[in-house]
Amino acid sequence: MALGSLSSAIHIQQPSTNTGAPGRTPAKVTVHPVVLFSILDHYLRRPNAEDRVIGTLLGTRTENELEIRDCFAVLHSETSEQVAVDMDYHRAMFDLHKKANPKESIVGWYSTGSDLNTYSALIHNFYSQETSPHQAIHLAIDTGAQEGVESGVKAYVSAPVGVNPKPENALFLPVPTDLQFNEGERSSLSLLSSPPDTSGRTAGPTTELDVLEKSIHDISNMIDRVLTYVRGVLSGEKEGNERIGRYLMDTLCETTESLDKGRLETLFNAHLQDTLMVSYLANLIRSQVEVSSRLTLLT
Amino acid sequence: MSTSMAAALAATLPATQSNAPTAPAPTASESIPPSMAKYVDIEAEIPITSVQLDGLVVMKIVKHGREAHPAPASGTLVGLDLDGKLEVSNSFPSPAPGEDEERAPKFGAPNPKYEERVLRSLKEVNSDSGVVGFYQTTTMGAFLTQSLVETQASNFEKLRHGGVVVVHDVTQASRGNAALRAFRMTPEFLEAHKKRKFDTQSLIDNRLTFSNILEEVPVVVRSSVLLSAFLSKLTQSPAAPPLPSLGITSTSTLSDSLSPTYSHLDLTSPTHLSRHMESIIDTLDLYKTEEGNLAYLSRQIARERTKADAYTAKRRDENAARVAQGMPPLPEEDVTRLFKIPPEPSRLDSMILLGQLDGYTKSLEASTGSGLVKMYAAQAGSPS
Repeated sequence: MALGSLSSAIHIQQPSTNTGAPGRTPAKVTVHPVVLFSILDHYLRRPNAEDRVIGTLLGTRTENELEIRDCFAVLHSETSEQVAVDMDYHRAMFDLHKKANPKESIVGWYSTGSDLNTYSALIHNFYSQETSPHQAIHLAIDTGAQEGVESGVKAYVSAPVGVNPKPENALFLPVPTDLQFNEGERSSLSLLSSPPDTSGRTAGPTTELDVLEKSIHDISNMIDRVLTYVRGVLSGEKEGNERIGRYLMDTLCETTESLDKGRLETLFNAHLQDTLMVSYLANLIRSQVEVSSRLTLLT
Repeated sequence: MSTSMAAALAATLPATQSNAPTAPAPTASESIPPSMAKYVDIEAEIPITSVQLDGLVVMKIVKHGREAHPAPASGTLVGLDLDGKLEVSNSFPSPAPGEDEERAPKFGAPNPKYEERVLRSLKEVNSDSGVVGFYQTTTMGAFLTQSLVETQASNFEKLRHGGVVVVHDVTQASRGNAALRAFRMTPEFLEAHKKRKFDTQSLIDNRLTFSNILEEVPVVVRSSVLLSAFLSKLTQSPAAPPLPSLGITSTSTLSDSLSPTYSHLDLTSPTHLSRHMESIIDTLDLYKTEEGNLAYLSRQIARERTKADAYTAKRRDENAARVAQGMPPLPEEDVTRLFKIPPEPSRLDSMILLGQLDGYTKSLEASTGSGLVKMYAAQAGSPS
């Protein structure tokens, strides 16, 4: 899933003499939702005086992809004259993190707000030393808390600029960024983003059957929508769109063609019997377990 | 306000806050504004009625569980309780056992040093730092394990309200249902656990079965305003729409635009069912062994007891005969010293195994139940 607004930028992969060499710019950065959640949480808990928060990103690298899987907050202070990052804290936190997640290493840093200034370059310079020989990634998160600024996530690598490279001079080159999650996390994301109930922004976990019911409702609503559209086109109220028509045809053919009727029925009955048997056995064991535990109390 | 509350709560948490120079509770309570006074209970008098998980915590638990799968994962929950609601605002994983064998000898046992250091670090970035419980991931619904019970029981003495345990089922999550449940210990179990006695008499006294070791606490999931806004923004900027709009003002909510997957509509695969049943059979075997042990031990006890009884009866007869003959009776010796009657075995293990079986079968039942619905739905959708 793409993060942030689409850009028309072309991301040029630098040709490299030997693939997988350290220092190669990652072609793609994937961000785990946990990272975004942590950063937003950190942003909410920032001291009043600070405009932005920074932290360390942790993750894994493959040949030309970078996966940001976790992060932790780092203390820092910014004034108009100087910027200070709490190094000891950063090291201590990384040591602790290493214990729980031995596979993840430092890949870069994050900050909230999208302005890239001299301080960003300085901090980036520090993180480049930490991630050496690989390039450090800078993840800039717009929280959307300020007016006029769209929320979004951007990732950058830096390139030296100027005749004499100095730490405070850097060119931040954007890298394509994706949000990545698997099926298990997908369900909790939808739980979090489900419409809030009346009492506020809360939602309770549901049972399997509830989820199923909701999906079936969704699907039946979708079918209704398609039906209204098709009827509208047939009666001439709406102008038909051939692309939608083809898409619908493809979808319908896919679902029906591959299934042979007689075979389906046999399969269905066999599976039905299996499932019922399993369900029966599960119930039987459960009652036995219950009886057994009660009997213990009697003796 | 939140810091003063945290300070007040921290003052009542001697076990976890030993490092911080905490103010004594009475002075801390004075700083609580009167309007909040009824929500903040220093003496932990308001019982917990629900557990509120932050979105961050949910994602962290799910991620940790997925990465550690198939091994179970566990970690610590931090937050604070407010007016009967336990707000869990952050969590951190416990180091996996294995590489640190000597320092973390048992799975699920908290590593106090690690925990303390993480808590101190969290405090520095203004995060909540009061431990309120722990989480554990499980597969196929069998969450009741020895380590969970042990950790929870040891937490009870350290934490306010005894702490909660949040259980996440990885198997259900992979089927598209974020399953999170919160539990706490029942007083009945704690009574028995305090005496370290799980023999039959103690079980009967406390009316203890596997189902009332833990009691469930309702869970709500909360995402902060900023997070909801961010999520909705993310989902509203879709990549170039693959299809022109149907021209219908869709009432699509957030979850619709977050590219919905319908993985939970997939038919339950037979391999999943058979794996499930395999684990049930394994647990049944374990239970059988455990029962065998218990039966052996109780036979042993019975044998020893009969011997002891026979001995006392014999001695009594002898004494009666001696009294009849006018001789002084032999002293009644201490039977327990002569015959070693083994102590009655603990039934906790078999109880936990039964609890596991119950969990397995419950989730199997649920999955077959929804499986049936899906099968009929699939058949209804197929050409007749």
